Amino acid sequence: MELLKQTLWVLWKDLLLELRRRESILAMFFFGTLLLFVFHFAFEIPAEKAAEMAPGLLWLAFLFTGTLGLTQLFQAERENHCLDALLLSPMDRASLYLAKVFFNLFLMLLIELVVFPLFWVLFNLAFWNLLPSLFLVAFLGTIGFCVLGTLFSAVTLKARARELLLPLILFPLMIPVILATVRGMEIILRTGKFEEAFSWLRLLIGFDVIFFTVGFLIFEWVIEA
Amino acid sequence: MRVVIRNLSKSYGLLWALKKIDLDFQSGECVALLGPNGAGKTTLLKLLSALLYPTTGEITLDDQRLHQGSSALRSAIGLLAPGEHFYEGLTLKENLRFFNSLYSRVKSPQEIEQTLDTVGLRNWSNDYVSSLSSGMKCRLAIAKCLLLEPKLLLLDEPYGVLDGNGVDLLEAYLMRLRQHGGIVVMATHHVSRILTICSRAIILRRGSLIFDEPRQEPWESFQRTFAEFLPRGEKWNS
Repeated sequence: MELLKQTLWVLWKDLLLELRRRESILAMFFFGTLLLFVFHFAFEIPAEKAAEMAPGLLWLAFLFTGTLGLTQLFQAERENHCLDALLLSPMDRASLYLAKVFFNLFLMLLIELVVFPLFWVLFNLAFWNLLPSLFLVAFLGTIGFCVLGTLFSAVTLKARARELLLPLILFPLMIPVILATVRGMEIILRTGKFEEAFSWLRLLIGFDVIFFTVGFLIFEWVIEA
Repeated sequence: MRVVIRNLSKSYGLLWALKKIDLDFQSGECVALLGPNGAGKTTLLKLLSALLYPTTGEITLDDQRLHQGSSALRSAIGLLAPGEHFYEGLTLKENLRFFNSLYSRVKSPQEIEQTLDTVGLRNWSNDYVSSLSSGMKCRLAIAKCLLLEPKLLLLDEPYGVLDGNGVDLLEAYLMRLRQHGGIVVMATHHVSRILTICSRAIILRRGSLIFDEPRQEPWESFQRTFAEFLPRGEKWNS
């Protein structure tokens, strides 16, 4: 119960700071839409190739935009030694992890809500009816990105070149998530059936559960190192 | 409360910031932690507040070892570092509410207002921390301590930013804390100021403890030891 309360307090603090500064959300939103326009000018997706190309391009946009958000995730804690203030307190360190995962997930989902339809419009894609299923796959992939990304954002928190280091460490570990999400979306787009993508979804759910549990359990050692 | 430090050493890579320190702090003590820059004062404070962990040795608070995961002990420790530990984008009230919640302290908005009034910040309670001066941030840190009620209070150079009233406010609080059995450990370079309120002084030099005595009048041994840290040509004047 105490863990939940502390998580909500940290989340409240992060949302309030973001609401006032709007640094991460604006940067992520503009970067995400900018990437879509770059893709739009660089590629043309013929209708018969949409299933193959669209998921990869979409996830590339989410991955880069999400990494931008991750580099800012602990920015408030870096200023004024606020991380020390948190670590001085008797709070459960896992509550900090949970709050940061939820905050990151919230930002990513907001971006995805805008980027998904915009991508469809820009590339003049059909299958609007498949958007909810595709969004569900992307949601599971986003959870994987956030649980692992938050953990490694904390790992690189005190590193000098952390903006460079974070994607170098994170992207190789994200391969299962990228693969499962892209393949899952591709199958749904190709067959039009959500059930066909179940095997990839199982992999995604497994990844999410495992890395969420690992992050939850080891965050204390990571953040206090 | 009793704090025991045994064989405490801390290294940053090849540099030993503290070397085999043994100390005991008892209830009601106010300890002046002195020494030149790089002596290891801040490292000792960080070890006492469990922001750092020792390379060797241990710290116990009431016979419980301070280690990673000793969250119950952390609620008894306060660190007052002026100008730090507050979110600039939150108001004074929001900061105090937030940190109170992390310590599971239930304080009403009225109590928070009252505490801000005590430290002379009531008129700024809805302002952002970023708009405060260094002295006001230090007062806010005092307000935080008043609300969190630590039993072991560590202070890192608080005098530099406080005005006269602020110093009186801080010293009155420290006095009250000691009367209630708390322990105060203050690292400072304002020696003449701290000597008026401390009950004991310890001096570090290059990570080693070179002086540890209760306050006396006159205190020649202190004057002799401390004289070497004074600027060239300056004489000790108690």
